[in-house]
Amino acid sequence: MMLQVFVAPPQRLGAVPHGTRIIAPITSGIFEGPRLRGKVLGGGDWLITRSDAVVELDLRITLETDDGALINMTSFGLRHGPPEVLAALGRGESVDPSKYYFRTAPRFETSAPSYAFLNRLIAVASGDRRATGPIYTINEVI
Amino acid sequence: MTTFKDEGTRPADITSRPLMTVNIVAGAQQKLGAVPHGVRSFVPVTGGDFEGPRLRGKVLPGGGDWLLLRSDGVLELDLRITLETDDHALIYMTFQGLRHGPPDVIAAFSRAEVVDPARYYFRTVPRFETSADAYSFLNRIVTIGVGETRPPGAVHRIDEVL
Repeated sequence: MMLQVFVAPPQRLGAVPHGTRIIAPITSGIFEGPRLRGKVLGGGDWLITRSDAVVELDLRITLETDDGALINMTSFGLRHGPPEVLAALGRGESVDPSKYYFRTAPRFETSAPSYAFLNRLIAVASGDRRATGPIYTINEVI
Repeated sequence: MTTFKDEGTRPADITSRPLMTVNIVAGAQQKLGAVPHGVRSFVPVTGGDFEGPRLRGKVLPGGGDWLLLRSDGVLELDLRITLETDDHALIYMTFQGLRHGPPDVIAAFSRAEVVDPARYYFRTVPRFETSADAYSFLNRIVTIGVGETRPPGAVHRIDEVL
């Protein structure tokens, strides 16, 4: 499915033992795929920029399908790229996502029987970091 | 009602390439029984090897797989092992994964039988850490593994997500 999240102004904690910590609150979003669609209720992305300039992302959000099912989505990911590309992203510019690496591995939890298949799959996603927040293309690993 | 706006950039298509195949040899399973989240067991890793275009070597003894059998019949895997390349670099490998299949396949596993991997779902998300410059690319990639249960352990074909 495609998932787009909208991020509120981030909280910049600065240098913590593992790197530079940023917490990005996610206030809304939408998702759409062949088997499910709906909106993002909220959550956040806990980012850490490591000493090797790789950003580790740790996303936790709640999805609500159009038929009212709640889904917990978590996702670990990595983002890195050439310094000039990352600088352009930091300025809120539109950047071709093939110019940087932004890949995540989402996992899902739900109690809704019609979406229980999500509890049993591994997924992988590619991210496109827009100024308002990322758009993810999420594929099931079959 | 989808309102994805495409300002001319699109998320990259997801492709992958083989990273390596890891053969894991395991020791006797320790069965802890029913814990709050499910049925817990631990499988120690005693050895093994790995091979790929960019790296090869052995799986060091130590570490293991912390398994949890959930109430919905899905087995959650949580592996932590150390790899040593043929040029003596150490690599920490960890994954979370899922394994599930029809009841007759699960019964075959309990009898330590080899089952056609097309009959079950065994997928993992391995991650790596190393201080060795020659292998530092491992610190920057997301990978996906396809597992096969092969008593007394398992084989994982791991692809790098490009």
